[in-house]
Amino acid sequence: MDERYTLPIAKITKETEDINTYTFKHNLGAKPGQFIMLTDFEGGEKPFSISVCSETEFSVTIKRIGDFTTRLFKKNVGDLMSFRGAYGSSFFIHKKRVLLVGGGYAVPTFYFLAKTLIENGSEITLINGSRTKSEHVFADKFATLNIRTINTTDDGSFGEKGTSVDIADRLLEEEKFDFVYASGPEMMMKALQPVISDNKYEFLFERYMKCAIGICGNCTMDPLGIRLCVEGPVLPKEKVEQLSEFGKYHRKPSGSRVNF
Amino acid sequence: MNKIKTEFLGAKVSSPLVLPAGVMGMSFSGLNYCVENGIGVVTSKSLTLVERSGHNGPVIAEFEGGFINAMGLCNPGIVEGLAEINEFKQHSDTPVIVSVFATNTEDFIELTNYVNKSQGDFIELNLSCPNVFDEFGIPLAASKDKVAEIVRAVKEISTIPVIAKLSPNVYNISEIALVAEAAGADALCMINTVGPGMLIDKKMVKPILSNRTGGLSGPCIKPIALRLIHEVYSKVNIPIIGTGGVTNGDDAIEMIMAGSTLIGVGTAVYYRGIEVFDKINQEMIKFMDEENYASINDLPKLEKLK
Repeated sequence: MDERYTLPIAKITKETEDINTYTFKHNLGAKPGQFIMLTDFEGGEKPFSISVCSETEFSVTIKRIGDFTTRLFKKNVGDLMSFRGAYGSSFFIHKKRVLLVGGGYAVPTFYFLAKTLIENGSEITLINGSRTKSEHVFADKFATLNIRTINTTDDGSFGEKGTSVDIADRLLEEEKFDFVYASGPEMMMKALQPVISDNKYEFLFERYMKCAIGICGNCTMDPLGIRLCVEGPVLPKEKVEQLSEFGKYHRKPSGSRVNF
Repeated sequence: MNKIKTEFLGAKVSSPLVLPAGVMGMSFSGLNYCVENGIGVVTSKSLTLVERSGHNGPVIAEFEGGFINAMGLCNPGIVEGLAEINEFKQHSDTPVIVSVFATNTEDFIELTNYVNKSQGDFIELNLSCPNVFDEFGIPLAASKDKVAEIVRAVKEISTIPVIAKLSPNVYNISEIALVAEAAGADALCMINTVGPGMLIDKKMVKPILSNRTGGLSGPCIKPIALRLIHEVYSKVNIPIIGTGGVTNGDDAIEMIMAGSTLIGVGTAVYYRGIEVFDKINQEMIKFMDEENYASINDLPKLEKLK
């Protein structure tokens, strides 16, 4: 049974001007990389990756982009929201030397992954990148994990100057990693792909989702037809390499193709 | 797998299982993924002249017996939709049903002209979407005059066989079916989702679906589908694609016995994964082996109603 839960927002944490973290007191039982479908029953239900997850609570970290998230940003602690999930595939937990390459509002899901990797004894290097300091997220939270972290911004206003891909390129020339994870804008992952072509990796993708349970077909990815809500959102290298739409186009709510 | 090969309106099909409109039919790749998993015939999303984004979410909600859904006829429009079908046909010889939706005869004619130029094998007239009341009023399938007019107009110009998709949400489905047959329909597809129904979030005191209501699918509608298919089968002489709540091989066999030639499988993708088509194929074969039927075409049908 596809359980739905309606609960008050337990905590709202402002991360940046346009990014908030919403926490709910609920044992979601999710795995890193998975997502929930969140709604306020005012029109709109959207998928969000889980950024923090324990036996007592979970969080989703959300960027204000469209009508739904604009409405969400006006809500207060105690306001009711409804969610279902967790859905989708999760990151493979590699227990050796791993590199996490993150960009923008897609980085927080790495917090949940990093916590899980730490519990499994992995040796983690995290690249936390964003365009500029005011858009940089979770630097403080990652600092509490005592993992090797390289903060970077495109304009050099926080951490190193350069993109996450620039930093990954440099690191991979000097060091070896057993596994690479990427979560960020699709064009970042597209630029990263040739850099990590000798490595095993997994990417976290984003597509427009409606049913989130593998029926409607809105989030199928060409040419495989795999559903990002079921076989994704985390896809392994073997699948990523076959995707003809990767970095080229995605589908609107109507199913019509739009180029990146 | 030879046991489940059959024919439908002159087309050879590898399995009697049909992907119904609205399930995985948004892209050429989604259709192909179902073929790789054992489906015999695929149906596109219902295509309209103009692109539609569909309803806001939530568009689907589960309950004990199945789902209610109100997608709102989201589709990329007839031109892009047919481009997906043509791309699918480049890689597959699996028959494709092109589902189209309109609210008046003129638009159905225009859609048919587009479909004629595509590689679709059949055209299915969605006369029965239950989820766009507010925009379009009651389903066309509730009106014998409308059904007759649209089917006749499309049949006159269509270069491929015409299938009428019927609504279960009428009191006289057999009469509607007879009207469609008399107007020239080559086959019927039934049933579309039932109801519509509604579910409520008790804490927020809101309907779960943003459309408020949605059509029922899943195991709870199977007995309704079986009854209606049998009633219609008793009256008409054209083949029926029977759909509604089929989740396993036994359900599929029942659909055939009620009078179906082909069998739709949609919501079961959720219950049993995308592999559900292969699983049902195998389960049908197992039943036929046990009961000594050499071919799916040898399965008996229920005696027709008088």
